[in-house]
Amino acid sequence: MQMNSGTDDAGLLERIRRGDTDGAAELFERYAPALLRFTDRMLSDRASAEEVTQEVFLKVISRAHQYDGRAGVASWLFAIAANACRDRRRRDRRATIVPLEAVAEPRARGEGVEASIASRQRREAVRQALSELSEEQREALVLARYHGMPYAEIAKTLGISVGAVKTRIFRAVETLKAHFSEGESSWTAAT
Amino acid sequence: MDCRDVATLGVERLTGEASEAARRELAAHLAGCESCRREMARLEDAWTTLGADPDAEVTPEFRRRTLGLIEEEMIRGRVRAFRPRPTFLRPALQAAALLVAGVLGYFAARGLPHTPGPAVAAAPAPATAAATVPDLAANPRFANVSYRAADKDGRVAIGFDVTTRHELEGRPSDPDVAKLLAYLVAHNAETAGEKSRAIELVSEHFGTGNAPASPEIVAALSATLRTDANPGVRKKAADALASFPVTPEIRAVFLESLKSDKNPAVRLVAVDALAAAAKASPDANTIQSLREKAVDPQENGFVRAKAASALKAISF
Repeated sequence: MQMNSGTDDAGLLERIRRGDTDGAAELFERYAPALLRFTDRMLSDRASAEEVTQEVFLKVISRAHQYDGRAGVASWLFAIAANACRDRRRRDRRATIVPLEAVAEPRARGEGVEASIASRQRREAVRQALSELSEEQREALVLARYHGMPYAEIAKTLGISVGAVKTRIFRAVETLKAHFSEGESSWTAAT
Repeated sequence: MDCRDVATLGVERLTGEASEAARRELAAHLAGCESCRREMARLEDAWTTLGADPDAEVTPEFRRRTLGLIEEEMIRGRVRAFRPRPTFLRPALQAAALLVAGVLGYFAARGLPHTPGPAVAAAPAPATAAATVPDLAANPRFANVSYRAADKDGRVAIGFDVTTRHELEGRPSDPDVAKLLAYLVAHNAETAGEKSRAIELVSEHFGTGNAPASPEIVAALSATLRTDANPGVRKKAADALASFPVTPEIRAVFLESLKSDKNPAVRLVAVDALAAAAKASPDANTIQSLREKAVDPQENGFVRAKAASALKAISF
C-alpha cells in the first residue's frame, strides 16, 4: 500500500492532539482518497461513503490521544473506517445498495457514450459480485485488491489472525470466480 | 504440490503473498497440468475483472465540506472543557491526605505527656460516606463528583460532596441512582465534565434498548439538549437520547434542536435520530423538518446532505 511513512503519520496525529487544524487537514489530504475508496466499496453508496469517511476523520480527531502506535496509522484509520461501515450497515439494516444511476459518475476524458455504457455495465457487474460476499470477506478482499495491503497488515486492521485473512480472501476470490464464470456469456455480450 | 493446492497458491500469487519458491512450484505445476492452467486463468480473470470498478474520487465539494467539519471539530476540541479529570486522582489524594493526617496525629499523641484532666470528647469516628441521596428538592450543589464504571453486575457508584461526602452504589435503573443521575444530568455539577460523565453512564446503561430509561432521565436529557451552554454536553445528551426508543417527547426535542441548535454536530445527531424515527413510523412533522433542512441554503452543507440522504431512506 502506498502510504506515507509511519513517522510522518504519527507526527500528524501528534499535531492533531495539540489542536493543530493544519495537521488534521494534512491527514485528510493524505488519507481521504483511500478511505473514500474503501467506504464506497464497502457501502456501495456514494453518499453514505462520504458521510462515513467524514465520520472517520471526526473520530480520529476526538480519539487521536488513543492511538498507541501498535499498528500503523493507516491500519488504525482503516480499522476505524471498517467499524464505521459495519455500524452504518447495521444501522441502515435495509440493503444499502442504490441504483448506480443515482450516483454521479465522472465520465473519463474522451470517453464516448458506448464506452461509457460499457464501463457502467462493468462497474455494475463488479459491484453486484462484491455485494454477494459476506461483509468480512469483502473487507479483507477490498483491502488486499484495491489497497494492496499485505495479509499481516489486514490482520492488524481487522483485528483477526493472518490465517483468517487468508481464508476470507480465498473464499471471496472463489465466490467471485464462480460469479464471473456464470455470467461470462452476458458479461462478454455487455463488453 | 498437487492440483488441490493450486487455488490456494494461485490466490496467494494474485495478492502478492506467495513466496518466490511457491511461485516457482506453482509455475512448474501449471506447465504440466492443463486443467490447473484453466483454473488459474479463471482466478486471474476474476482478479482482473475487479479492476473494472473505478475508484471513487474526492470531489472538490466533498473536500470543502469535510475540511469545514474538521475545522469545526478542531475548534470544538480546543474549547472543550468537559473532559473528565482522572477519577482516580482525587480519591487517591484524599486517601493519602487522611493517611498522613492519621499518622501525624498518632505520633503527636504519643509524644504528648499524659496528664489527667477533663475528659476530652472522643474524636469523631472517621467520616464515612453517606449512602443516601440528599434532599434534591433543595437543589444542592454537588462538588467532587466521581463515578465508578459499571461492574460485572451493572452496578455503578457515584460519589459527591454536599456538606459531607456521599456515595451511592447501585444499578442505574435503581430508583435512587436514577434520580441522582437525572439530577446530575439536569443540573450543572462542578464541571461540565462531571455532567458529561453522568450522561455517559445513562447512555451506557439505557442506550440501545438495554433497559427503558425513566421519564426523569429522559426529561433531564431533553432539558440539557435544549438549554446547556456547552455544545459538547448537548451533543452527548443528543447521542444518549438517540440511543433510546423514540417517544413523542424525544421526537419533539430533536425537532426543536434540528431547528434551533447552533451546533451542526448536534443538528446532525438530530437528523439521524429523526430519520431513524421516521423510518419506523413516518410522521408529517419530521418529514417536513428534514425537507426544510435539505434545501435550506443557510444550513451547514453536511447537515443538508444528511437530511437529503435521510429522506431518501424513508418510505413515505
